[in-house]
Amino acid sequence: MQGITELTIALTKGRLAGRTMELLGRAGYTCEEMADKHSRKLIFRNEEQKLNFFLAKGPDVPTYVEYGAADLGVVGSDVVLEENRRVYEVLDLGFGRCRMCVAGPPEARELLDSGAMLRVATKYPEIARDYFYHRRQQTVELIKLNGSVELGPIVGLSDVIVDIVETGSTLKENGLLVLEDVCDLSARMIVNQVSMQLKARRIREVIGGLREQLEAEGRK
Amino acid sequence: MTPVQIKTTQHGRQLDLLHTPVGLRDCVGAEMAQKQTILGRIGDKMRLYGYEQLETPTIEFFDVFSNEVGTTPSRELYKFFDKEGNTLVLRPDFTPSVARVASRYFRGETAPLRFCYRGSAFYNHASDLQGKLRETTQIGAELMNEPSVHADAEMIALLIESLLSTGLQEFRISIGNAEYFRGLCREADLSAEDEAELRDAISRRNYFAAEDLLKSRGYDRSVRDKFLSFADFLENGQELGRLLESAGSERTREALERLISLDGVLREYGVADHVNYDLSLLSKYNYYTGVIFKAYTYGTGEPVAAGGRYDRLLSFFGMNAPAVGAMIAVDPLMEALRRQKIEVSVPEEAQTVSYQAGDDASFRTSLRQAASLRAQGKAAVLIPDAQSEQQEGTACRE
Repeated sequence: MQGITELTIALTKGRLAGRTMELLGRAGYTCEEMADKHSRKLIFRNEEQKLNFFLAKGPDVPTYVEYGAADLGVVGSDVVLEENRRVYEVLDLGFGRCRMCVAGPPEARELLDSGAMLRVATKYPEIARDYFYHRRQQTVELIKLNGSVELGPIVGLSDVIVDIVETGSTLKENGLLVLEDVCDLSARMIVNQVSMQLKARRIREVIGGLREQLEAEGRK
Repeated sequence: MTPVQIKTTQHGRQLDLLHTPVGLRDCVGAEMAQKQTILGRIGDKMRLYGYEQLETPTIEFFDVFSNEVGTTPSRELYKFFDKEGNTLVLRPDFTPSVARVASRYFRGETAPLRFCYRGSAFYNHASDLQGKLRETTQIGAELMNEPSVHADAEMIALLIESLLSTGLQEFRISIGNAEYFRGLCREADLSAEDEAELRDAISRRNYFAAEDLLKSRGYDRSVRDKFLSFADFLENGQELGRLLESAGSERTREALERLISLDGVLREYGVADHVNYDLSLLSKYNYYTGVIFKAYTYGTGEPVAAGGRYDRLLSFFGMNAPAVGAMIAVDPLMEALRRQKIEVSVPEEAQTVSYQAGDDASFRTSLRQAASLRAQGKAAVLIPDAQSEQQEGTACRE
């Protein structure tokens, strides 16, 4: 093989993509095509560094990476846990930090502690199931919602919710509070298993570069 | 024959019967011909290495694949009962079956035993939407009664030659040693639960989860570093020597030495260019006790082959014999060949010999012609002339 190996990177649409490109930029990997806001391209290329980027919805990023459509992906660890794909999770990028929590009205605490049957509304049924079944050993009824999960306890659909909490202000405004922490979350870099072996040198170089950059920034 | 495209509007309700359940599929036409070619070529390699083909039942007792054997988790098995109430499963993997056969028919045998197999394996995957097959075609080989590094090398060389015979060129066999990880766990005195959790984290290359786990259990820096430093994989066998100096116990040292001598034998075979070493390579099968390996190539997200040494599996069936095996997953291999645009040559299509329908003399001539083609080893089909057009017409309508 001549020259450098080509890499394709799947990014999570939205804020995470922006933060990822900033970090990659500081580590010396750039993509000018992507900075062009008017572009209608789906794949962005850096010819010189042989890098391809594309944007995808969060839950799809691990799918692209698992099937090898992308060598690398950047996505929240909530998605990695929920999707449970066969990918390598190699780096904690440190941004996008938040928590996965059980939240509900204050009176739900008693219900939660009593071990009684609960109704749980969530966008993350796998994470919620794992938490209640395997860590709390509690039987619950899970209700999958696709957004505005906070509504669940307010309108009486569920007793509690399992959701991402950043500042907690949405919860507070709606009379809910964090009852328990499930886990900490942040942006992760994931790698396709095959790429990790076949494009080892290039991928190690990118991961190594990012790790050094993160460590250098962490020391400041 | 090329399969006919279905015109969906013609069929109405019966159409529901035409597709297969999720994760199961038909294999017809050119694809089937290619599959046969691939199985044939790999089978030939195994035969040339002296492996005897055998067949085991698709359905086995559940206990053959139980938790103690260390294969597929129970919930991923297709299970059902026979009339006596025994739990039966569709085999998820051939190795325990072959081990059972060896223990049943060759107990007491001390000479090396070489077996190969091909067939379907079944997994009951939890989610429907992950695009994974529930019935996969596997072809593999097992070498029993041979504890030496030469057996490990033979298996890996056979695997490499088999993959090359299909036309695949760019692939890599990553080799690890299950004993190395176990050795490190013993050095650190990890509990069984922690070991399982750590195995899961490291097999996903999730090193910060591994570090968090070790930190939360109160292991000190030196232990953590040992687990996390072996994470980086190695370009070649020479780098293994470097690790020997820091090996903390007999077990990890032996694991490394085994890989170093394996590299030497693979060089003798002339296949060392296709391998690299990766000590964090762990298998979901717990029965592996030594060298383990996986083959990776472009165009498919999963390994195209896997295998390893399983010195204690046979004892589960009452025969105490070391063994090593390899399995090629034919479905991802074919996907990789297709994506890499590697042509798999298939036998040429049958020649058409036509005769005048209703004309006995014409039939006799054509029959003789077809028979002589077949005698020369060429495929021939007899087709009545008057009907040949009509037939094409009905094929579409049916």
